[in-house]
Amino acid sequence: MAKIKAFSPEFALAFKDEINRSAAYKQAGKGWKWTVGLIVEAEPDKNFPDAKGVYMDLYDGEARDIRVVSDSEAAKCDFVITAPYSRWKQVMQRELDATKGMMQGKLKLKGDLPTIVRYTRASQEMTECTTRLDVAFPDEA
Amino acid sequence: MPFRTRRRGQIAPPTGRLVEYADGDQASAFAQMLGGLIEANVRSRPERRRDFDTLKARVGIAVTDIDESVTLDFREGLLVVSNGLKRDRRITIRTDADTVMMLSNLAIGPFGMPVYIDGVGRGIVRKLVTGGLKIDGMLTNIQTLNQVTRIFSVR
Repeated sequence: MAKIKAFSPEFALAFKDEINRSAAYKQAGKGWKWTVGLIVEAEPDKNFPDAKGVYMDLYDGEARDIRVVSDSEAAKCDFVITAPYSRWKQVMQRELDATKGMMQGKLKLKGDLPTIVRYTRASQEMTECTTRLDVAFPDEA
Repeated sequence: MPFRTRRRGQIAPPTGRLVEYADGDQASAFAQMLGGLIEANVRSRPERRRDFDTLKARVGIAVTDIDESVTLDFREGLLVVSNGLKRDRRITIRTDADTVMMLSNLAIGPFGMPVYIDGVGRGIVRKLVTGGLKIDGMLTNIQTLNQVTRIFSVR
């Protein structure tokens, strides 16, 4: 099967399906009712010339909608996580744990901290979902 | 600048400011994360505010797997967060990043006591027993540790 292009509409759809297949996320995400925006900052030298955003409408253990949007659109979400393209790639390849990345400032979080900490397991499982996708990265083409 | 007088005669910092960063703009991401977490927690929960306003202790947290550490200097209504471990700490917690997250997810039960019998609590006890979580000063500062736990817990 062909790989999914990173941060493409197909990627967003596959990510949504993977989250909704995850029993662990369904359990850990119970009670979550906020939108999450991922901002992927541009890295032209990595063949990722323009910033992109991923809008995630997550509700009570379910992904209702995930789509690729502009970075400014993603920035309007209740919680926003920002990192350069290569950091997100590290997260998706299990080279960087998202929670540790936030503690080290490698991923920047905006939003109510007690809420995100309460849902640490859900965010870890969400990260796991990205690692299960067969993704084609633009700097590996 | 308005100061409020405390019951025991101390002068508290101005109302509204709860957390300061000793390193200013150079505060580490971990320092800002912990400071932000505690501030949001204390502001949103009056019962945590009482603990915050009465706690006077210097607590160190070292996250061993990411090589980050901070000192939380609780000064009865003001928290000063510093990068690294400073001297004269009453309690020092040394553990990995996942356990720091577990500690902040520890439930608080009746009489404000941390709950060690649910999944998260048992995980923390297991870490303590196996050496994955080390708390210097724990035995002589149980009350302070419980107070810090309540301020730190988002549950």
